[in-house]
Amino acid sequence: MSQLIISVGREFGSGGRVIAEELAKRFDIPIYDRHLITEIANKTGMSPEEIEKLNEAPNSRLISRRVRGFSNSIEDNIAEMQFDFIRKKAESGESFVVVGRCSESKLKGFEGLVSLFILGDMDAKIKRVMEIYEMNEHDAKNFIEKKDKKRKRYHNYHVHMHWGDSRLYDLSINSSRLGIEKTIDYLETYIRARMG
Amino acid sequence: MLAAQIFAVVIFIAMFILIVLDKIERHYVTLGCGVLTLLIVFGICMRSGTAIWNTIAVKEFFTKEFWYQVTESESKGINWATIVFIAGMMVMVEGMAKAGFFRWLCMRIAYLVKCKTIPIFITFMIMSAVLSMFIDSITVIMFLAAVTVELAQLLKFNPIPMILSEIFCANLGGSATMCGDPPNIIVGTSMGFSFFDFLMNTGAVAGICLVICILFFYIVFRKELVSKHAEKVDMTKLPKPSEAITDKKGFILSSIIFGIAVVLLVTHSMTHLTVASIGTFIAIITLIANFKAIPELLKKVDYKTLLFFIGLFIVVCGLEETGILKYIADFISDISGGNIMLMVAIILWLSAIASAFVDNIPFAATMVPVIQSLAPIVTASGADQHTLAWALSLGTDIGGSATPIGASANVVGTSVAAKNGYPISWGRYCKKLAPATVIVLAISTVYLFVRYL
Repeated sequence: MSQLIISVGREFGSGGRVIAEELAKRFDIPIYDRHLITEIANKTGMSPEEIEKLNEAPNSRLISRRVRGFSNSIEDNIAEMQFDFIRKKAESGESFVVVGRCSESKLKGFEGLVSLFILGDMDAKIKRVMEIYEMNEHDAKNFIEKKDKKRKRYHNYHVHMHWGDSRLYDLSINSSRLGIEKTIDYLETYIRARMG
Repeated sequence: MLAAQIFAVVIFIAMFILIVLDKIERHYVTLGCGVLTLLIVFGICMRSGTAIWNTIAVKEFFTKEFWYQVTESESKGINWATIVFIAGMMVMVEGMAKAGFFRWLCMRIAYLVKCKTIPIFITFMIMSAVLSMFIDSITVIMFLAAVTVELAQLLKFNPIPMILSEIFCANLGGSATMCGDPPNIIVGTSMGFSFFDFLMNTGAVAGICLVICILFFYIVFRKELVSKHAEKVDMTKLPKPSEAITDKKGFILSSIIFGIAVVLLVTHSMTHLTVASIGTFIAIITLIANFKAIPELLKKVDYKTLLFFIGLFIVVCGLEETGILKYIADFISDISGGNIMLMVAIILWLSAIASAFVDNIPFAATMVPVIQSLAPIVTASGADQHTLAWALSLGTDIGGSATPIGASANVVGTSVAAKNGYPISWGRYCKKLAPATVIVLAISTVYLFVRYL
């Protein structure tokens, strides 16, 4: 397999982003996550903070309309720009890791695609979020639920199948079972096996 | 009958909510609701095979009046004339786009004004309005906005004011003719109007408003359009208009076909050819002229919109056959207390406000039978019997400009801008276009009062 595209879907707090970053290091390929935000910020002249707010966000249904594939929603257009960006990267033959952005579906058909979904036990996710964001348990739980709800709506709007549905991904894995480090090791082994 | 009325209303409201929510593609929504109307309202509740047969209205295809009409007549059921005409024009527009007609026209005009920003701004507004009189505004804006962005990048100006003005003028131009905007085609074919009827009535006020809008947009946007970084235009660096033409023979043929379509539409009250005949003829000659590309052209026709229309007409028939639309007409008549001025103002402004937030096509299709019911009251008062039709057309066409979701052209224009790095928020859009809409509606109100009442 000359091209490797690792698509990482993730539940908030599952360590998906850390796993994606570590996989990018181990395979020595770039990762597109924050980079996609700065890329769009440069193109639109909006600030990265503004893009961050609209990033992986569902549109506001009552004030959005779609006509023949065109949408007035800035969220939708930012999403489309990101889909175009990763599609062009994939078409160029480059190997990379991409976090979220419905990449498991948008890049379907590329031979080098390995799609992963990282989930986690709620207790473990709360613990992680409490540590990273210095929140209490109640706030951490609400934060996780809010973030996941947003990701789910975003994903399910742009893709016909449901976010987190195991049939969408090559491998869905609960990072709470082995812990983040061992999950990465396991995924590395799996990806190397896929690469032949 | 009560059960039929309840189901007709429930199906209609469900259809509207589902269209707004945009969870299911809108043609599935209207078709699904249309099937439910046929089965539940007409089949189970009314047990009326005649109502179903009249609504499907396929027999219309086999009548002479569908193709050749000497006297005005009103149609009921699925408005096949609208569907056939829109389908025909879609084929023609695809042929023109394929040959590079629209891009060529935009570049040609930019060259004619020596690629200077303000003259481009003014000529593109006029071009947007004129093209939208004959071609659907989605196509007009799709090409115009793309060329505007391209020129903005080359000439270093902000394309957003220009795109916003083009969107507004496309909607305004669409209001001027029978084929400019789908609500006009629905109003025209349902009430037996000609292209010329629209041009002489809505077209006259659209022309006045266009001049005022160009002035308005010039005043509010001129500072944004003049860039501090603007350099002297080097025309040699710009793409030549001729480069836009992908197929010279196809380009000439599609230009001729477009010319024929315009002539047929302008003269159809004299030739008695209906819009259905014109649409069919134009589609056939486009396909003959692009013989090798027939599958490609047919594939590009927006069947989803055509199916959307079919379902929509059935659901509206459900409301009409069960008498619901008569209740709405009576309600409007009651609240206006027989005052025709108030009735005209209600139709115009209600249509405009509704069209600013919901698709104006279902709204127009629903309101046509309502204004038909109100027509005798208008005539009895001594006013022009078609006043409400013009109020409905102007309201639905112009009201749609007020918000980014009000009309298809707005969605396409803002999307093309955003995809090229110029996102347009609701605030940015409404700040200038909502006041422009109110100005045009105010002018239209005065026009309707002075001319017809």
